[in-house]
Formats: sequence, structure tokens, C-alpha cells
Amino acid sequence: MRSAKSLSAVGLLAAAAVVLTGCTAPEVEKPAAKDVELRMTVWTSNEDHLALFDSIADEYMADHPEVISVTFDPLPFEDYTTTLTTQVGGGQAPDLAWILENAAPDFVASGALAPIQQTLEGTEGYDFSDLNESATALWKSDDQLVAYPFSTSPFVVFANDDLLAAAGQPSAAELLADGKWNWEDISEVGSAVNAATGKAGFVIRDFDYTTWDNLASIWMGWGAAPWSADGAKCTFNSDDMADAFEFIHDAAFEQKSMPGPGTTADFFAGEAAFTVTQISRASLLAEGGFGWDLLPLPEGPVGEYSMVGQAGIGVLAQGEHSDVAADFLAYFTNPENSQKLAQYFPPARNSQLNAETLAAANPVLSADQIADVVVPGISTGVVRPSHTNSAEIGQQVRSALDAMWVADADIPAVLDSVCDAVEPLLGN
Amino acid sequence: MKTETALRPVPTLRTDAAIARSKTSPWKRVVFFGALSILAIPFVFPTWWMVTSSLKPIADIFAFPPTLWPANPTLEAYADVFTLQPFARQYFNSLYIAVVVTLGTMLVSSLAGYAFARIRFRGQNALFLVVLVGLLIPSEVTIVPLFQIFNQLGLINTHWPLILVSTFGAPSVLATFIMRQFFISLPVELEEAARLDGLGRLAIWWRIALPLAKTALAAVSIFTFLHIWNLYLEPTVYLLSPELFTLPQALTRYTDAYGGEMWNVQLAAATLTALPVLIVFVVAQKQFVEGLAQTGLKG
Amino acid sequence: MITSPDRASARSGGTPRTRRRGLSYQRWDELTGYLFVAPQVLGITAFVLVPLGLIVYFSLHEWNVLAGTFTFVGADNFERLFTDQKLAPVLQATAVFSTGLVVLNISLALLLAIMLNRRSRAMVVYRTIFFSPVVVSLVAWTIVWGFLLQDNGGINALLATIGIDGPNWLREGPTAMAAVIVVQVFKNVGLNMILFLAALQGVPRELEEAARIDGAGARVLFTRITVPLISPTILLTFIITIVGSLQVFAQVAVLTQGGPGTSTTVLVYYLFQQAFLFGRFGYGSVLAIVLFLIVLVLTVVQWQLRKKWVFYEN
Repeated sequence: MRSAKSLSAVGLLAAAAVVLTGCTAPEVEKPAAKDVELRMTVWTSNEDHLALFDSIADEYMADHPEVISVTFDPLPFEDYTTTLTTQVGGGQAPDLAWILENAAPDFVASGALAPIQQTLEGTEGYDFSDLNESATALWKSDDQLVAYPFSTSPFVVFANDDLLAAAGQPSAAELLADGKWNWEDISEVGSAVNAATGKAGFVIRDFDYTTWDNLASIWMGWGAAPWSADGAKCTFNSDDMADAFEFIHDAAFEQKSMPGPGTTADFFAGEAAFTVTQISRASLLAEGGFGWDLLPLPEGPVGEYSMVGQAGIGVLAQGEHSDVAADFLAYFTNPENSQKLAQYFPPARNSQLNAETLAAANPVLSADQIADVVVPGISTGVVRPSHTNSAEIGQQVRSALDAMWVADADIPAVLDSVCDAVEPLLGN
Repeated sequence: MKTETALRPVPTLRTDAAIARSKTSPWKRVVFFGALSILAIPFVFPTWWMVTSSLKPIADIFAFPPTLWPANPTLEAYADVFTLQPFARQYFNSLYIAVVVTLGTMLVSSLAGYAFARIRFRGQNALFLVVLVGLLIPSEVTIVPLFQIFNQLGLINTHWPLILVSTFGAPSVLATFIMRQFFISLPVELEEAARLDGLGRLAIWWRIALPLAKTALAAVSIFTFLHIWNLYLEPTVYLLSPELFTLPQALTRYTDAYGGEMWNVQLAAATLTALPVLIVFVVAQKQFVEGLAQTGLKG
Repeated sequence: MITSPDRASARSGGTPRTRRRGLSYQRWDELTGYLFVAPQVLGITAFVLVPLGLIVYFSLHEWNVLAGTFTFVGADNFERLFTDQKLAPVLQATAVFSTGLVVLNISLALLLAIMLNRRSRAMVVYRTIFFSPVVVSLVAWTIVWGFLLQDNGGINALLATIGIDGPNWLREGPTAMAAVIVVQVFKNVGLNMILFLAALQGVPRELEEAARIDGAGARVLFTRITVPLISPTILLTFIITIVGSLQVFAQVAVLTQGGPGTSTTVLVYYLFQQAFLFGRFGYGSVLAIVLFLIVLVLTVVQWQLRKKWVFYEN
């Protein structure tokens, strides 16, 4: 029908024009800052965290009347990066956003983040040189900082001493003192706990047989890595990695020291003897709950090692008020506020990476724990593996690794298939 | 087919129950009801599990051996449902959107269905085919361009995309189809009489066709309400703020600060989502079932 | 009563003798027709046809969301269809899923309808039970099942009480596919059951009685009389169920995320993964076109076959 056809043609042209203008990188015009409302996406909905952020924001607004509100917008952690990307793609980007370290390469390389180094350096009293070199490595594009690493959190082991005692096992501290603080021995202890009490031995938190990059906390002990340092070559099928996976597979299927696929166990609900996670989870320890302890990661065949996870805050270039946002970020992370944030998020400032600062602010961990575990963990820690195109690589590896999680898996063959799946994507 | 059947004497009618009782042995009846009950388990068990687990403290849900009934029933999860998210608001969102879309769809589909069935206009078959295309497109196919369109109109993070697309777009095509089938099967004489009395189309539609179409409209409203109530992809794409979420979207958001599932709270929210609709269904199930049965979909 | 001999105008309700001013009655009637269908037609144009056109447009470009670039790449995305190693397993999974779903759904619905096709209080209760999952929220239903299907979840616990060691349902390829199918079937079979019940109740009782008197056994009764008479309904539910099966998304997203491996990655989920999770909007659009074509072909084929499979009384 003629009218229907012409209608759709017009509609198509209009929509196409509209899409085209929407898809080109917008020319950001900066109007005079007035009645600015800033939004920062975060992944924590912890009330204490948000209260602290709000208090810092209130102080900022007192001094900067052109900013009338600062909203901290929690997005669910599970698909945080996807949601953020959708917001950016749909033209609804926040002004500031937390960024996971595994998404850092994609964000940093894309140009979606506004450069902030100049603003930070130019802010009075900021002391930019205090920022730790290795901590900022991941967040630089062309040697210019595009996101601030506000949290460098080591992976540690929490131990449930009550459960260990109930299973007739020595406490975690005793294991460390006896030189038994290594993966092989931990697995034996875990196996004994499982046999005696039916609860889990050790749990790699957030792994759940899907988020495989959390296994890095184990394979680093074997000196293994998923890809070469420049990210171009797949090393999943290296001998070191194969040995590491032998251990993991064994723990899950033979020794049963780690819960198998499809079984859940929550350490903080008292269901496991050990868990590997970041120190920020300490807030989940219930007051007056079971007796617990904090230890560094167990040794692997290569000896002692430490792993850190990072999170950065970036200013989105798409935002209308990116200069005001950068200014707010400078305030949010200046030495004074960095110290306040340190109770939950270990900072990247050399002057604050010591036991006194961290312990002073931390309500849960003792000074000794911080000195013995956290500070060394941060200073020697290697950042978790990350790569551009992380979503697709993550899915392909996960998909190929599914064949690993059955009782009679052919580990070297599975690892070869992982490399087959991932090799084409690494080249990008 | 034998034409003589009409001439054979028809046996006296008895109720099926009477026939059943006389014809089948007790053993057969036991087997029959046993089979039915076993079949019914997977239909009932999940709902039962959902409700009872929502009353258990989270540690008990995975306890082995599992209990069919909570040992220490607690309403803690239900309290969390409301404190962790603006659940009451989200419930209201789902409800009002479903109601608005249902009413809108009834309007759009009865108008279009009547016109396709009863009015002659050039190109109507072609137009009807165009409309039918809507039945074939999964929403996942059109979601990205639709998102772009609504984004340019500044309607992201509002309920408008949900309401407009569901009422005028693909989801309402099944309704139009049903209404058209129904109107085709209506006897023409009633309208003829009205026409001769000088009534215009609109009046005929409103005063004659619609009142006769009650069962079809009921079926359309049931289909539409259920469909909108269950929408998951569209709210996830269009809505960004928790106060605007609809229920299916909200259900998946009950995770702790680090993404761990809060099972008891999720199940409590799922119970709150399912139970009222279920109760309405149980009470009105006769109308539900008969409305659906009379859609004329028999072909 | 009608003076006009025109059959067509009789079907549309007759032509009264009065004339409207200006336009002839016929024209006015046509205009009304257009107006009545306008909301639906405009809606479909705006919300279905235009997006379809945009999909074709997208499929010719690559859109990097973060970098904000939108570049014309011609047929590159289409070429990917031929080099994509995952496509064949995805299409296979889709075929397995749809076939399994349709076969299980239709046969179970028919079975239940036949069993419940008698008037009694008990049947009303069972009817309600079998229909109840239809009204429960899809996401709620899937979450509960996902929960029950865990290795240490309710289903295996139930099996353990009768001594069976249940498999890790969602972590092994075949059982994961079976689980997703079964979850979807139980959710919707009640709807088809009701449609079949209605159709069965349209089968004249005299025919059945007569056939029985003539000595027909239950099987003959079923295949020679019941099925042909309800074949229009069977065809319609077949079409609706198949088209619906190609649109199943939430179940896969919530239960398995396409795993283990790619065993439950059906086309719709693969499309979502490519477009929304990996940011490959161009290729995702190509997949959308493939999906649309599959649905179109299947529907047309089934509609053409109706002349062969459906038995009309007249």
C-alpha cells in the first residue's frame, strides 16, 4: 500500500539519521558549570561505604556551590561492566565510574575515559608523586593517567579456626608456624575437614566454576599465567598451568577439599574452613561469630607470592561536566580523603601504604594482621590478569573450561582447547 | 464418517463421573489418579519449595536432608525484600503497566480486529500480512534499534518504551489476530440491522460488536496481562533506576554487595510476585479457562 | 432484508440506503477501516519494521560502544557467518531445543487434556494445578528451578531419598539441555492443555459413542476420530509453540548462561551474547536476521502444510 510504504521509508530515514548522529563521538561543549549534578556508578551497596562517600561528597559541595548533588549509583556487581558499557553506548554514561581491573584495558584503550592527570597534578595539596608506580601502571594511556586506582586490595586467606578445631585440625596460625602453609597441605587439611564435618575445605570465593580468573590466586603459585606479558600469546597450555590445574581438579574431585561444581559453600556463613578473597570482605565477618584468622596466600611450588585486585575510578569523556567530575575526583582521592577511604579500600599512595594508616582506619582487622598480611600483600602483589576484549575472552575461556569440571577430564587436552578458542582473540 | 450415526438411538446421557464409576474398576481409577498425581508433582513442587524456603533462614535452605517444612519459620527474608529494594514501588510498577497495556491492547486489537474482519478497504490483506509479521519477530531481534530510537527520544529510564511497544507493537498482534477470528465468526445479521438503522461503524463497533466479544476480550486480556507481567528483557534494557524496575527485573537483583545470591530473599520476592496472581487465578480459574477455550483458536 | 445483491457488502454488514455527505458511503467506510487499523499498523511499522530495517543497517557496520565509533564494513559481518565455528553448534543446540520442547510440550499437553476431559470436581482441581505455572512469573519460576537443580539442591535431595544419585544437572551438557527444556515445558504446557481441552470438548459426543458401539478400541478412536477432528488446534499450537521456542531467552540466561560449553547456547542467547556481552552489535544484527529468516521459513512451511495435515469437517 502506497501510504504504508512511504511511511516506513520516511521512518527509516529519520531513524537512520537519528542513529548516525547518536553514534558519532559527541563534541563535548562545556557550559559554565552551574547546578551540576554528578553521578558515580559503583558496585557496592554496603551502607557503611555509601555513608562514607556521601560524607566526602557533602564536604565537597559545601566548598563548591555549583555542584548541587553527587549521587553514588550502585549497579549489581555481577554484570557491572556490561551495564556500564550499555549506559555508555546508550548515551547515558555516568560522570564517574568505578572500573574493574579486568575491564581496565578495554576502557583505557578505548578513549572513553577523560584524561585526569593534569587535573590531579594541578590540584593544590594533591601530591601526585605520592602515587605508587606499579599501582598506576594499568590505568595509564600513553603515559597519562586516565583512571585513579582507588583500591589495591590483596587476596588473602580467611580461616575458620573454630571449624578447624571441630574437625580435629590445627589452627591456621599453627599450620603457618609448622611450615605447612602451602597449597598441598591446605588441601589435605581441607579434605579432612570435609570428611569430618561435611563442610567445605577451602573455597575460592566468587569462582563458582564460572569466573575462572579468580583461580589466578592459585595458579600464580605455580608461576603460571593465562597469556604472555604483552598479552599476545596464550600460555594456558603451559606445563606450569597444567600442573596448577592438576592440583585444582584433584582438590575438587579426588580430595574433595574444594566444593565441586554446582555446590555452594559460604565461608562467612561458617560453611568452609578457608576462603581466598580480598580483605574488603572482612566486613562480612559477623560480630561474635566463629573464631577467625587472617593469613597470606599459601605458598606454591615457586614459593611465596601475592596477588592484588584493583579498582579504578574514571571520568567518562561523554559526560557533560567532565571537568567538574575530574575536579571532584581529585578531591575524593586527595591525601586526607584517601586516608578515610583506606579503611575499606587500600590506597595507591606510598605514604599511606603502611600498617599505621591502614590499621588506624580498619575496624575489623588487627594491627598485626595488617602489618603481617595486608601491607606485604600490597607491596609485593602482582595484579590479576587482564586483557582487552575481556568479555569475549572471559566467555570463551569459561566455555572451554567447562570440559575441565568433570571427574575424568583430560587436563592437557582441555587447556589446549582453551588456547585454541582464545588465541584468535588475543591478537587484537 | 458414517451418516447413519445420526439415526441411531442416542443412549441416555449420564455424567462422566457416573460413566466412569460404572465402567472402570476401582483398580483402574487408582492407577489413573495415581498417574495424574505423579504428573502433578513437578507442577506443584517448585511452588511449594519456593514458599517454604522463603520462610527458612538461609543456612537451612541447603541443609541436607532437606525439610519439606521450615523448622523455624521466619519472616526475616520478607522484611529484607522490602528494605533492600523499593519492592512495593516495583510491585506497583508491574501492576499499573500491565493494566494500562492490557486496556490499551484491548482497544487497539478490537478496533483493528473488527476492521480486518468486517470492513472492506483496499489493501487490507496486505496490511494484515504486515501486521502478522509482528508475530514472527522475537523481541531480542528488535531490542537494539528500539533502544536507540527511544534513546534519541529521551525516553530511556521511563516506562514509556514498555507501554508503547507492548500496546501498539508486536505483543498486541496475537490479540488482534484473536479478535479478528472472533469477529469473523459473528453473524452478520446483527450489524446489517444496525446499518440499516443508520448507525456508523464506530457505533456498531462500540454498541454491538464489543459487547458480544466479551469472552474473546477476556482471553485477550488474560494473555496480555500475563505476557506483560513476565517481561524481563525489555525492562532490563530500558530501565536504569531501581524505583522504576518491574518485578521480574527486581527479582534478579537480590544479591549481596559482592554478587552473592541471597536465596531466601530472592525466593521471598518470587513468592510475593507469584502468589497473588496465583490466588486470583484459583478463584477465577473457571473464567480463565473458559475464556481461553473460547478464543476461537480452534481454527 | 438486504436489497443489495452484493455478497461482499453483505459480509461487511450491508449497505444502507442513506448517503453520507461528501464521500460516498463506500469511501467513508474505507476511511473508517484505515482509521481503525491505524494504531496497530503504525505501531508495527514503528516498532517492528523500522527496527528490522535498522538491524539490516547495523549489520553492515561495526559499532565500538566505548570508543564511540560506527564504521561501515560492508559484508564483513555476513562473512563471519561462514567462518564462525560456534555457529554450527549453536544452530544444532537451537534445533535440539526446539524439537525437544515442541515434542514434549504438545504430547504432554495432549495427554493431560485427554486425561482431564471429563466433568468432575477432581478434574477442576487438577486443571488448576497444571495451569498454575503459566501464571507464575517466568523469572521466579526459573530461579526456583535453578535453585532446585543444583547438585545439592532439592531435586537431587528428593532422588536421594529413594536412593538415586542425581547428576549435576546444570553442569553436564545433555542434562543441562534437558533441564532447560523441561523447565520451559512445565511452565507453559498448561496453556496448550487448555486449548486442547477446548478442542476436545468440541468433538461431538455422538461420534465417540457411535464409534465405541461399532467396536472401535481406544487407540483407533484416538487416531481416526479424535486427532483429525482437533487437528486445526494441533497445528495452531504447533506453530505457536515452535515460534515461541525460538524466542526462549530468560531460562537460558538464568539457568546456564549458555553452558556448559556451548551446549545450551541457543540462537537467541548467542545473539544476546554477541551484541550485548561482547559488544559485537554488527554480528549480533546479522544473527538477528538469521533468526528472523528461520522463523519466517518455518511458519510459512507449516502454514502451507496445513492443507495436508489438517482435517476439515466440510
